[in-house]
Formats: sequence, C-alpha cells, structure tokens
Amino acid sequence: MPKKEVEICVGTPCHLMGAEELLNMVKDLPERYENNFKFKSSHCINDKCDMAPVVKIDGKVYGEQNPEKLRELLDNYLRDNI
Amino acid sequence: MKLVVEEFYKSIAKDGEEVCGDNVEVIKQDDTTIIVLSDGLGSGIKANILSTLTSKIAIGLLNKNLPFEEIIATIIETLPICEVREIAYATLAVLKIDNKGKVQLIEMDTPSAFLLKNKEVISIKTNEIEIRGKKIRKAEFEMDRSDMIFLASDGVLHAGIGGLLDFGLGWEGVADHLEKVAKKKKELKYIINKMVGICQGYYFTEPGDDFTILGVKYRKTREVTILSGPPQNKDDDPKVIDKLMNSSGKKVINGGTTAQIAARELDEELETSFEYHDSDIPPVSYLKGVDLVTEGLLTLNKVLEFLDDYKQGQLLPEEEDGASQLIRLLLKSDQIKFLVGRAMNESHQSLNLPLELGIRSQIVDRIANYLKELNKKVSIEWF
Repeated sequence: MPKKEVEICVGTPCHLMGAEELLNMVKDLPERYENNFKFKSSHCINDKCDMAPVVKIDGKVYGEQNPEKLRELLDNYLRDNI
Repeated sequence: MKLVVEEFYKSIAKDGEEVCGDNVEVIKQDDTTIIVLSDGLGSGIKANILSTLTSKIAIGLLNKNLPFEEIIATIIETLPICEVREIAYATLAVLKIDNKGKVQLIEMDTPSAFLLKNKEVISIKTNEIEIRGKKIRKAEFEMDRSDMIFLASDGVLHAGIGGLLDFGLGWEGVADHLEKVAKKKKELKYIINKMVGICQGYYFTEPGDDFTILGVKYRKTREVTILSGPPQNKDDDPKVIDKLMNSSGKKVINGGTTAQIAARELDEELETSFEYHDSDIPPVSYLKGVDLVTEGLLTLNKVLEFLDDYKQGQLLPEEEDGASQLIRLLLKSDQIKFLVGRAMNESHQSLNLPLELGIRSQIVDRIANYLKELNKKVSIEWF
C-alpha cells in the first residue's frame, strides 16, 4: 500500500492562521502514521487561502484546520482506506 | 573580476576614559572608498569632539570632491581652541582608494601608513607640502590586489609606554607585528583584532593613550539578487525569472507564490522545509539554483524590523529561520538588486492584514534605504 501524501501549507495566510501547530502535531504522531502517510509542507495549496490553514490529503483539500481536526481526518483515513 | 575595498578598524579608549579620542569616518562613492582617521589632542570627550569634528568636516568635503587645500584650511579655521594648551589640534589621515588600484594618501601629523606587500611591511613614499603652515605628507600610488594598507593613531606606536617598553613599539615595532600576524591569516578582522590584543598586552591592558588601528584591502564583490513578489503582468514571469537566474552572485526568492512561479518556469521541484526555526517566520523552501527561498511579507517585515535598530558592526543573527538567513545575506553583500513584482496578492486579501504590513513595495523601499545608509549599492527594478 503506497503512503498517502499529506501536504500542509505554510504560506503566509496559513502560517498566520496556525500552520505551525499542524506541523508540530504531525511531528509528534506515533510511528504508525509515518508508515502510512508521507508528510510534506507547501507554499500554497490550490489558492485556497481564504480557508487557511489548508491541508491536502491524498489530493483532497481541507480548509480551516486545527491539530484536533487534522488528527481526526488522518484517523479517518487510516480507518477507512488502509 | 569585480573588486571592492573592504575596511575594518577598532578604536580603544585610554584607560579610565569613557570615549575614545580617535575617530574614523568612511564613505563609499561609486568606485571609490574614502577613509578618514583623526586623533584629537589629549583624551576623553574633548579629544573626541576634536577628532569627530575634524573627520566629519574632512569626509563631508572629500565627498564633494573639494580640493584638499580647502579642506585643511576649513578644518584649521573650524577647530575650537584648547583653553589649556591654546592650540586647536587633531591629526588627520585620509585614504582614498578606487576599485582599480589607485590610492591617494594624505597625512597630517599622523604616523605613516603601513603598506603590506608580499608578506612585508613597507613605508609609503610621500611628498611633503605645506598648507597654511601645516606640513602635509601626500602620496599617490598603485595598490595590488593582495596588498593591505594599515593606518594607526599614535597610541598604537606608543603601545608599551608606561607598560612593557620605555619608548613604545614605534613604527618598526608595529610593522614587525603586522608582518607576523598577517602571516597567519590574511583576514582584516583577524589582523586588527590581533593587533589590538598586542597593543593591550604592551600596555598591560591599561592603555596610556587612545589608539586606533585600521586596515583596508581588496576583495571580490559580493552580490545578491532578490526576487520578491509575482510580476503584475503574468507575461513577464519568464523574463523576471530569467533575470534572477542570470544574475551574478547569490540568488534569493522571497515569497511563496513567487517561488511557485519560479519552480514552474524552471521546471524544478519546489521543496518546502518542515522545520520552524522561529514561530514568527514560516519555514524556508529549496529550489535548485536558488540560494535561499523564503516566505514573503512576514520575512520582509522581520528583516525591516532588524534593520530599524541595526548599527554597523553589530553582530548578525545566527538563527536559521528565513529572515535571519536573508539578513545575513543582505548585510554581507556589497551590491544588492531587488526585482520586485507588483501583483496584488489575492491570498492576502482574505486576511485583512494591517495596511503597513501588507505593502511589499513600501517595505522593500525602506529596506533598500537602510542598506544604502550602510554604504551598499542598492537597485530596485519593478515589474
């Protein structure tokens, strides 16, 4: 099973809206997440700045994220798709 | 190979004094660097005022390319007269060096300059002239790329009086030490700091006089080009990226959207770091062929904030966040070119940023002005 790509935007609007918290949350995740996801950061995701902070999981864009929401999203992916 | 003149100096106040009675002024013209060193009579605040006045008048008039006779006359007429000694007095050394090797040296009551050539210090041949009763030494000569010139106030030659030596180091003694120190490392900062240490040693760390030692040499010009913001007209994208990539020296992209445009035009992968070195500054990115890729506005504002309080010679930030890296690049460069895109950034409109934070052109303008004040050659091109 290939790893699913998780992109976290750290562009100016996303940074101001809390992208660092998302990165920190992701860095602290247990190893099984890393075995299933490939995490990377990005400068801008599909120009969805009005939804900052934005993440993209497996090609799908999610806006207005916070660490709890993102963790839930990842958990759902793990449950449903893997 | 383009060359620039690099200078470095240190002034140390006489033991027990708050301020140094020596003063150095530096001005960079297009291709010429002018350096003035003045040593005021006595020590403390009075000496400081005399030397500051002398060097400021000299550098101001030199900058206007006035004849030297007039400059000396003006200084003599302007200096306040010491009540105790009933003379007005400060020494003066002027060094004018262009980027092609032409050197003019003028000395008034100051120790002769030191020319370090092929590991050996030689004295510079001067002609003596008289202006308003003052004996002035003048020299014009060619400086090689590897030469170094040092100026010293008499406190350097007197190092040791009251300490280790009866009559001080003297010119020959200083020359010997310069040769020895320069053999280890041909780096100005190293040589000057070592020489200051040596003088302090001879003085038993209680200098009996103010002392200043100053060195100049050539080095390769350090250039940096910063592309900031997407061009107003999308058709200009290839042209602007081309301009950045074909510039000589270091290359910087400031702005996420701009970096994405560059990645697209260059057909290279833009990789963003996962590392937050500073919570205020978004992570940097990596793009092949570009030395530094930073976030846009917040980084620029941080750079401006730093320059607001920056004094020449102050230590540079050592952090690895984008703004600190950009500050280091800017302050270590001699020639700085900004390529500024004026496109309205749609992504920022949703944020309602404070007006002051949001206007890229104004921030770049202010940064450019600070850099110009620091004697750097700065140009801005708008797109």
